[in-house]
Amino acid sequence: MAVDRTRYSHLHAASETSVRQADADLLRRLARGDRDAVAELYDRHAGRVLGLALRIVRDSSDAEDVVQEVFSQAWRTAPNYEASRGTVAGWLLMMARSRAIDRVRARQARRDAGVEPDPETIPSTAVPVPEQIIANQQAARVRGAMAGLPVEQRTALELAYFEGLTQSEIAERLQIPLGTVKTRIRAALAFLRRSVRS
Amino acid sequence: MTMERHAEIADRLEAYVLDQLPALERREVEEHLQACAACAKDVHELRAVLAGVAASVPPVAPPAALRERVLAAVSAEPQEPLRRERRVGIVQQPRRPLSGMMPLAAAAVLLLAIGVVALRLDQTRRDLAGEVGRVQTLNVELQEQLKRFSGQTDLALSILTAGDMREIPLGGRESAAGTAARAYWSPARGLLVVADRLPAPPPGRIYQVWIIEGGQPVSAGLLGDEPGNRGMLIVTPPRPGTGGDVTVAVTDEPPGGLPAPSGTIHLAGSI
Repeated sequence: MAVDRTRYSHLHAASETSVRQADADLLRRLARGDRDAVAELYDRHAGRVLGLALRIVRDSSDAEDVVQEVFSQAWRTAPNYEASRGTVAGWLLMMARSRAIDRVRARQARRDAGVEPDPETIPSTAVPVPEQIIANQQAARVRGAMAGLPVEQRTALELAYFEGLTQSEIAERLQIPLGTVKTRIRAALAFLRRSVRS
Repeated sequence: MTMERHAEIADRLEAYVLDQLPALERREVEEHLQACAACAKDVHELRAVLAGVAASVPPVAPPAALRERVLAAVSAEPQEPLRRERRVGIVQQPRRPLSGMMPLAAAAVLLLAIGVVALRLDQTRRDLAGEVGRVQTLNVELQEQLKRFSGQTDLALSILTAGDMREIPLGGRESAAGTAARAYWSPARGLLVVADRLPAPPPGRIYQVWIIEGGQPVSAGLLGDEPGNRGMLIVTPPRPGTGGDVTVAVTDEPPGGLPAPSGTIHLAGSI
């Protein structure tokens, strides 16, 4: 599938602040019941929402379901969105993570019950969007910082964030003590926090 | 909030933002966040970091069909009404009353305090106004009483110093047998009766004083009950006296007195 670059082109030179401002304006239109605003919100964020969903569920069909659910939920709950709680992108991605993890758990439960085969690898239909469309500088800083994390810390954090595992599940998966899991996740988040601040 | 409690919660903030806590513990943390600005700030920053982690995942271009599907789904779906309470469907974030609500809360507390003080002041003002009113009334009463006593003292003195004044010893009878009483009678100025150690009148009765001239009893008034069983009456002449023989008697009568004596005589004296 060809990437529609023009659709994202307006983000190229956009500053983080103006992107957030545009998102906030969009949410206000959404909150007033403007359905056209959903299309704009989708065009701005669907790529990242799908990327995150795919990263978690590792199945394009499930990931697309998650995208649909996230934008439906955004539309539904827009009247009660509070800008003070975080950025619009952060809000959409949090919903995406939550929905995606729910799917993974449901799938795991079905697999445990023997009704579903083990997952395949990420389908080849997934097309990465060029990196430069990410205007969010904070995300870029975090991504850079993630790369700088000691591998055992990054692994613990990724299991918690992208796979939605509890601390004891991570301990079991990695065959390390529970206290070590806590320590690694805390250290990872503290490191990322410092990197975001600086 | 104890420091132990704070430390215990602060230890779980990472697990909280990662949705790793069971429901009960999550609620404990959320309650704590309402009260602890430091922890609320930590959570806010941790969430920002996680948003960064999410956004750090490379985007994937969605297929065109997904866009149509999303817009079709939204077109069929109603929006939820604006609510004041916690949002459904959004990963729960704590409200942070200490940072956001503090000025409002402080203002509310101040207004409340001012209101309470104002109410108290108003109450005090009204209490004082009432008190002033009562004092004024009491003052008027005291003035009248003083005037009356003063007038009675003057009258008593004028009776006692009158040239036509005659002293009439009053003999006690019945229950008043032990009572020492005297009447000072001036046909021109009036009558003064003083009774010492006068027993209380029979239940439901009062003492009434009579002046009897020429066999005709005329009421001189009621014998006031004074502390120490001292009865006293100071009156101007109920009618101009003749200066002739006179009897002063005290009977018990129904409250308010009667035009003519009907009850038992307790004190009596003639001259």
